Order: sequence, then structure tokens, then C-alpha cells
Amino acid sequence: MEPRAEPDGPEVLRMESVRKTFPGVVALDSVNFDLRAGEVHVLLGENGAGKSTLIKMLSGAHRPDSGRIVVDGTPVRLKGAQDAERLGIATIYQEFNLVPELSVAENIFLGRPPRRFGLIDRRRMETDAARLCERVGVTVDPRARIRDLGIARRQMVEIAKALSLNARVLIMDEPTAVLTTDEVGRLFRIVRALREDGVAIVFITHHLEEIAAIGDRVTVLRDGRSVTQVPAGTDQDELVRLMVGRSIEQQYPREPVDAGEPLLSVAGLTRDGSFHDVGFEVRAGEVVGLAGLVGAGRTEVVRAVFGADPYDAGTVTVLGQPLPRHDVGAALAAGIGLVPEDRKAQGLLLDASVQENLGLVTLRRATRAGLVDRAGQREAAARIATRLAVRMAGLDQHVRTLSGGNQQKVVIGKWLLADSKVLILDEPTRGIDVGAKVEIYHLINELTASGHAVLMVSSDLPEVLGMSDRVLVMAHGRIAGELSAQEATQDAVMALAVKGDDVAKGTHMEDSGGQ
Amino acid sequence: MASNTVKNPDARGAEAHGAVPVARLLLDNGALTALVVLVAAMSLLSTDFLTTQNLLNVGVQAAVTAILAFGVTFVIVAAGIDLSVGSVAALCATVLAWTATSHGLPVWLAVLLAVATGIACGAASGALIAFGKLPPFIATLAMLSIARGLSLVISQGSPIDLPDPVSSLGDTLGGWLPVPVLVMLVMGLLTAGVLNRTYVGRVMYAIGGNEEAARLSGIQVRRQKLVVYALSGAFAAVAGIVLASRLSSAQPQAAVGYELDAIAAVVIGGASLAGGVGKASGTLIGALILATLRNGLNLLEVSSFWQQVVIGAVIALAVLLDTARRRAGAGPAASNAASGAPGVGHRWWSGAPLRLGVAAVVVAAVVLGAVLRGSGSSGSDTKVGLSLSTLNNPFFVELKKGAQEEAEAAGVRLNVTDAQNDASQQANQVQNFTSQGVGSIIVNPVDSDAAGPAVKGANKSGIPVVAADRGVNNADVGTLVVSDNIAGGRLAAKELARQLDGRGTILVLQGTAGTSAARERGKGFADGLAAYPGITVVGKQPADFDRAKSLDVTTNLLQAHPDVTGVFAANDEMALGAAKALGSKAGTSVKVIGFDGTPDGLKAVQDGTLAATIAQQPRELGKLAVRNAIKLAKGDPTRRTVKVPVKVVAAGSR
Repeated sequence: MEPRAEPDGPEVLRMESVRKTFPGVVALDSVNFDLRAGEVHVLLGENGAGKSTLIKMLSGAHRPDSGRIVVDGTPVRLKGAQDAERLGIATIYQEFNLVPELSVAENIFLGRPPRRFGLIDRRRMETDAARLCERVGVTVDPRARIRDLGIARRQMVEIAKALSLNARVLIMDEPTAVLTTDEVGRLFRIVRALREDGVAIVFITHHLEEIAAIGDRVTVLRDGRSVTQVPAGTDQDELVRLMVGRSIEQQYPREPVDAGEPLLSVAGLTRDGSFHDVGFEVRAGEVVGLAGLVGAGRTEVVRAVFGADPYDAGTVTVLGQPLPRHDVGAALAAGIGLVPEDRKAQGLLLDASVQENLGLVTLRRATRAGLVDRAGQREAAARIATRLAVRMAGLDQHVRTLSGGNQQKVVIGKWLLADSKVLILDEPTRGIDVGAKVEIYHLINELTASGHAVLMVSSDLPEVLGMSDRVLVMAHGRIAGELSAQEATQDAVMALAVKGDDVAKGTHMEDSGGQ
Repeated sequence: MASNTVKNPDARGAEAHGAVPVARLLLDNGALTALVVLVAAMSLLSTDFLTTQNLLNVGVQAAVTAILAFGVTFVIVAAGIDLSVGSVAALCATVLAWTATSHGLPVWLAVLLAVATGIACGAASGALIAFGKLPPFIATLAMLSIARGLSLVISQGSPIDLPDPVSSLGDTLGGWLPVPVLVMLVMGLLTAGVLNRTYVGRVMYAIGGNEEAARLSGIQVRRQKLVVYALSGAFAAVAGIVLASRLSSAQPQAAVGYELDAIAAVVIGGASLAGGVGKASGTLIGALILATLRNGLNLLEVSSFWQQVVIGAVIALAVLLDTARRRAGAGPAASNAASGAPGVGHRWWSGAPLRLGVAAVVVAAVVLGAVLRGSGSSGSDTKVGLSLSTLNNPFFVELKKGAQEEAEAAGVRLNVTDAQNDASQQANQVQNFTSQGVGSIIVNPVDSDAAGPAVKGANKSGIPVVAADRGVNNADVGTLVVSDNIAGGRLAAKELARQLDGRGTILVLQGTAGTSAARERGKGFADGLAAYPGITVVGKQPADFDRAKSLDVTTNLLQAHPDVTGVFAANDEMALGAAKALGSKAGTSVKVIGFDGTPDGLKAVQDGTLAATIAQQPRELGKLAVRNAIKLAKGDPTRRTVKVPVKVVAAGSR
């Protein structure tokens, strides 16, 4: 369990002064990273620090603009997943690369099933799959379909698949984010066994306590640069300081104002299997944070409040007026706006212009007798784009080519144009660079100062603590507790977030994962 | 068409470099470049191409596809697909003709009903998609079949005449501007207006761009989808009315496969099947490219088989050109936008060599087409155009051979086109012959009524017309060269009765509903059979002169009537299909009689699988048609009707 001394296995992989830019962003710059056989090397960094780009480079999805990648002492060019596979590099992404309709065995040997007389040798495929599953310590029928498995077991299948490729380097992107405590323990046992076998493992996690438990060395990324490399036993506060690079007070410029009348009241909100008896209030001028682990039901609740999804029981009231359930139009008319979790998939028309995106919510309002007042729309879009300081070449620029922060400003902007009283922000700064983050925090201050209310869902705990006037903590689909800004500390929130884990014995996640 | 907000991002860069506006327009719009290149190439290759009359012809020939495609543009922009537009167009035209002609409704009401039918069909597809959650492909595929079936049910399979006021829609305004072109332009402007200016139009881009984002922005996606498909249905109705007005009759089998042309036009015009991108001007250009190609290849006398190859290649190239343009535009535009310094590192010309390359390939395709043109070079300057209904049937292939032999012998240039059983394509081809100023035209009509207006156009230009195999209604035909179908039908009945000794139960396989050959052969057979009360017809179904269809239809009929003793098929192809279905019974316990005397048919008679065939002499027919056409071109007198004899060919009789 205790971190081992400096790993002494041979070096299998090294990145030297790697640089990678995307339109508008320098994702990585002079990044150095090395990996030895038989070690667990933790990549640590904030969202947007460049961890994903780094591992995508190792798996062949991106190529560096400059710098080089060295495998076994030889510089290589990874042009695609096949190249990485050939070198024994396997990656397990957060969103798994499994085909839900196919069986466990078919997924493990996807694209390279064992053959006999030109036909697929089903029996051999299934025995091989069973052997691999056994090695990763999961009991699963190789003929079971992936869609019928819970998240933890899907992850094990991914690992089995990586082993079947004889992977010498295994990259795991936040593997514990979706697991219960028990499952994390099981995963760690497998990771340690692989380490003993000499596999080099790149491990990404946001849970600092896991670093000491599983890691050997830590490389810290910040704003696309590799800041330093430290042993996994490093003190947690020190890790945070390295990761953030500044004190938290400066990063979250919250200026509280006196709370006014309740704008949004939710009572007894329930959807079977997702959330239960959720009730809270958001007042004018307030920022209410909604914290909790991934899968606690936070996004489900705010989407139901907004009318995007149905619910079974409970009420949603805006300014004293009850809202009909599952009716986005009514929520919008009552003054609620939702900035969704996944801005690209749910918030933006990527191949439409900035103007088009900004005017989307107000399109109906700008229509007279079926005709849209395009000039008025443009004028309004120009006004809000200036106010939010959206960095763009012009209103006609396609949103796809904006940086993440500017894209998010556009999503927020369309709700500002619609004059929403209550703004629900779901992961408002995910994948956004630090500068744009602070701009969004200032915008939140501006909104609450003018009497708007903000309900913010975020997995970024420092953000929740730094920006909220009150923090609601959800666990297993229920509000586990409420903390004032003074009471809310990392420990207090985490204590509430894992509440009920012992009771649930870790089975809850498995259930919901199988839905 | 007004500019669209979904603009090409590299326009700015071009401005910065001060490019000539026209050049920029071309470089920014792959489809327009392709059209310009195509027109230039055609003008160089054919002196008949770049005339006012011919360009108007191209407009008329593009109209129906363009109007259908405008409707499909809405659907594709909203990330859907509509396969039903061709069938819906035919249904609406049929409804118009049926209500106005057969039931005497006032024309304005009939037109209203036709458009309402289109909207209803579209709304039905839309409801299945929006509320029934069917994939658009499936829902509109179902509608394709339903609408086609309904138009056949209503019309009972035969074309219906259009009332005069509607037919005049196919005419010209002020003696030169064809009404279909006008309708096309008006619908185009309407489409541009809807897409750019209206709520529903902007919502189409939003839904097509990201349906979930649109929903979360308060757009009622399901209701709007319904509207989108209803609009497509309305446009299909207008297209159907224009199509029918050109042919002066509503054809239940019209516009088969037009949905694919419409989709091709939309995609050539730069729309993305993934949705969110597309505009009216692009679609118009797409439709014009298709029409220009067909028209030009007709004028160049390219073999009709090669025409299809060339058209397919150009569709692929036009879209390739546009994709290449976008790719070349996307990268630099993005980095430019991000750096916030317009013009820096912006290389709008970066894709130019690629574009030129692709354009060169388009030209090459056209030149290749020109090289493949029909074998018609000779010293004579007499030119004869022959528009065949189809070359998908050995009978017409034989007819073509006979015609070519005669033309070669007489030293006359013969331009053969293939209408692929599409009456409106045939109208285009006859129109193209007319504007080319050929000496005379031979029409082998897809449909006797529908050929009328185009032949009338030839009459107006003083070009004599010969009708081959089928007559032309409502127009002047110098000579009609036909087999005697009614007599042949009678002969078939007599021969079958002889072989069955006057007793038995039989099946009748009818030809394509609405064709004169099907009618006349059926009538002659029924007349002849009346003399033999011992023979009963137990099953009667159309199999559309098609061997494969006949195989299915016969197989099905045999399930109900396993012990038939005879089959009469209105052509040899169907007879051979029936023989296949009968297997070893054919020629032994079941007598199958065909019609036409095609090489396959005659061989089957020799082998004994067919009991007999009524042999037409297609080669003779083709020869006589050309001989008379040459006479007419020279102003020599001919007979009004030339009957080509038919004869019974039974086993052992040759």
C-alpha cells in the first residue's frame, strides 16, 4: 500500500519538449514525461491542463506539432490507434470504446477475432476471453452483452481487452471517477498486479488520496506545461499548490450580495431510479452550488427542473408560479435558462455562426408573422458578444472554431439575451482555460448583483467552494446536506457526498450503470 | 437568393487579398464552378448548346427536379431525408387531374386539393418521424410506396388528361418565357425567403445543426419537424402539377426515381446530409447541373448508356469539389479566427490547384462523353432523332438495331436517345431534337398522351414526326409505324385455344398499365377469346412487361390457381418470367404464349418452354420508321399509317 521507492524498471516511453496547438489554444507546450516498466505514473492537473491531449498523443489520436515521442529508445511517429497498438500502448478512456450490442468476447477481440478455416472460431474466442477476464478478476460470462453490464464490469472488460493486446503501456483516464469505494479497491488490486507483471501504467485521477494509494511518481501539468515531477508520497496540499499554481482565494472572485426573494423553489422532486425527494430554494442574488460525486444525480435534477426530462413527483415553482413538468418552453418563459453539461453536444450549433447561436433562444420572440427580424437579432448578438468579450473574428464565425471558453460564453450569452432570471450552470467551466474561467466567475458576480439567481452544478470542488453562497451536496440521488459558505470545506462536502456509501455497499452504482 | 448566415468562412480572407468578386464567388462555391465549367465545355463541344432556346429548354428540363429539390432542401437542412417526393408529386398530379377531369371540379379547387394532398402526405411522414420516432428514411420510404400506390388506385393505372387551364402551365409566357422556368424561379425565391427570413427556416438550421441544443433552447422540435416535411410535401405537389402540365396528362407512373435526382441536386448544391447546412441557390445550381448534363449529352449524341455513367461521375465530382473546397477553407479560417488577426496566414487559394484539377476531370468526363457519342458521322447532312421509350427490353434494342441499319444504308445521321420509361425525360429529348433542328424525329412514346405536348412543339417548328410502335395523341404525326397489336392479341387467343383444344383455365399477364400496347394486346386477346367459352381466365395481373416482376406475379398467382393450363403474357419477357415460375410445367402441362418475338422468346419457343409467341418484327419496325422519317425530312409523301405484320411462331412452325 505504501508508495515504493523511485521505480527502477527500464524506461519504456518518453516525451520530450512536446508542443501541440489547436485553433485558439496552446494545449501543450514543452511537456516532458517519462514512463518506466512496472510503475504507476500519475498525471495530475486541472481540467484543461492538457492531460487528455497528452494521452491522446500517446494513443495516436493527435500528433505533436513539435518535440518527440520515444518508445524503447527509438523516436516514433504515432499516426493512429494501430501504430499505438503495435507498440503495445493501450488506452482506456472515460467513455469506453465498447460496442454495447456485442458480447464481452466479441468486444475483447473486436476487429481481430481468432479464425479457423476463415470463419470466426467462437469457442476459442470465448475461452480466451474467459481467461483474460479471470486475470483481471472479474466473473462475467464471455457471451454476455456489454449493454447488460454495469460500469465497473465494463471497465474490467476494457482492461481485459488491453491485456489481450499484450499492452506494455496502459493509459487509464480517470478510471475511478465512476466507481464506488469497493470497486476502486478491486481496481487497485488489478492495477498492482499488472504493475508486478511489468506493465507501465499512466493513471489520471482527480482524487488526491488515490495518488498515494496507487501511484509511484506524479507528473503535474498546469496550463499545458509539465510543471514538475514529484514522488507519489508528496503532501496533498503541496500537490494542490503545484496543480493550481496560485492560492485559491485569487482564483474565485466571489462577491456575495444580500439574497432577495426566492426565485426558484423545488420540492419533493423525484424520478424513480435517478433522484428522490429533492427540495431546495434559490434566491435572487444567490449562487447555490450543487456538489456531489459523478452519478449522484445532480445533472438529472437540474435537467428535470428545466423541463428537459420528465419527473415522477414533486413541484418546481418559479416566482410563485408552478411549472408544468417536462416542458422546456414553459421553463424558458418563466425565466429559467440552462447551460448544459456538454456544451458541444447539447448547447451549440457548432457549424452555425456566433450570431445564430446567440439568437437561438430569442428566435421566437424576434419573429413577427413568421418572419424573423434578422437585423434586430444581429444587433442584439453584437451587443451581448461585446458585453461578454467573446473573442471572435466576427459574428459570422462558426462556433466550432472558437475556443472552449468563448464557446461557453456564447451558450451563456443566449440565455442572457433571453433575460433569464434563474440561470442553471451545469459544469460551467469544464475544459476551459483559467483566464476564461475567471471571466465567467466575474459574469456570475455581475448577474447576481443585478438580482439574478445562479444554480451551479460542478465537479470541480474548489470552484463550488470558491463561488457558492450556499452548497447543496447530493449523494445517491438525494440532497445529503446543505452547507453555508463558511461551513463548506473540502472535507465537509466530501463527508456528505459519500454519505450512505456504507449502507449502499457499493451496489448502487452498479445498478444505475446497467440502466 | 440572399446571402446566408451559414457563410463560407474563407470569404473574408479572399476580400483581404482583393480578389475579383466573380472569381471569389466561383472559388467559394464549388457547385457554381462546376456549372460554369460544364456550360463552357458544352458550348465548345456543341454549336446547338448556347442558344437562347436551348438554355430555356435546360431551364424547363430542370424545373421539376429543382422544385422537388427545394422542398427536399428544407428536410436535408433539418438533418432529415425525404424519399417520397417523386411519388407524392405523381399522386398530387393524379388528384388534380382526377378531381378536375373525372369529377368536373373547378380547376382552382382541384389545384388546392392537389396541394393539400401534398401537404397531407408530408405531414403524415412528418408525424411518423416526429411522434412515431421512425427514422426519416423508413417513414418516407413507406410514404413513397403509399403515395405511388394511391395514385395508381385513383387513376386505375391509366394516365388522366389535364384540364386545359392547367396544361397551359406547361406553355410559355409572352411567347418565350416557359411557365415552368418561372415557377421554378418563384419557388426558389420562396425557398430562400423561408430559409433565411422565417422562424421555421431558421429552426431548420438549428434542428439540423444540433437537435438537442435546439430542444434545450426552447424550440418545439417535434412540431417543427412536422412543418418541415409538410413543406416538402407542398413543394412536391407543385412539382407534380408542373410535371403533369408539361405532359398535358397526369401519369400515375410519373417521376419514378426523381427523389434521388432531387437529393443529388441538394447535395451538389453544397448541403450536408448531416444537416444544418444548405441553401436555395445551391440547390438551384445542383438541379441546373443535372439538367445541363442531360441536355448537353443529348445534343452531343452520347450513347444513352454512357450518359448514365457520365452523370454519375459528375455528381460524385461536383460534391468532391465542394468537399475539397470546404476542407481547404476550414483549417486556415480556424487558425485565423483564433489568432484574431484577419488575413494573417490565411490562404484562400491553397485549394486552388485541387479545384482546377477536379474541374479538369469534369471537362475530361465531358470530352470522354463526346468521344463516346453515337456512330453517326457520314457525308449526309440529314439528321434524324430517335427517342426510344427504353433500352431495357430486347424488343426496343432490336428496333434500334433495325433503325441504325437503315440509317447507315441511307447515309443519314441517326441520334438515338433512351427515355428510360420516363415520359418527362422523353419530352426533354424531343425538345432537344427540336432545338437542334433535326430533319425529322422518330418517337417511340413512353406514353401516347404524354408525348403530345413535346411532339406539338416539334410540329410548331415544322419538324415532321414519325411515331413508332405506339401512337401519339393530340399532336400531328406524319406517319405511324406500328405492329398490329389488336390483331396480334386475337391471333394469340386463337393459337392458345388451338393448343388447349378449346378448354382450360388460364392466367393473363398484362403489360404496364396505361400503355397502348398493353391495352391493345389485352383487348385483342379478350376479343379473340370470346369465341372459346371453354376457356376461363382465372387470374389477371399486370407485370409491367418485366421478366422479374412476371416471375413474382406468376409465382403468387400459381399459389391460388395451381392447376392452370395456359398463360397469356402481353410480351415475351413476361412469358419467359412465367415459364421460369412454372418450371418443368412450362411447355408440358401449361402452355405459355408470349408476344413480340424477341430473340430470347423465339429461342424459348424452339426449346419448347414457350408454346408460341406472336412475333412482331422490331427490326422491320425500326427500318420502316427510319425510312419514313427520311422521306418526311425530304418532304416526300408517306402513308399515314404503316402496319408491320405480326405472325404466330409456334414450336415447329419455323
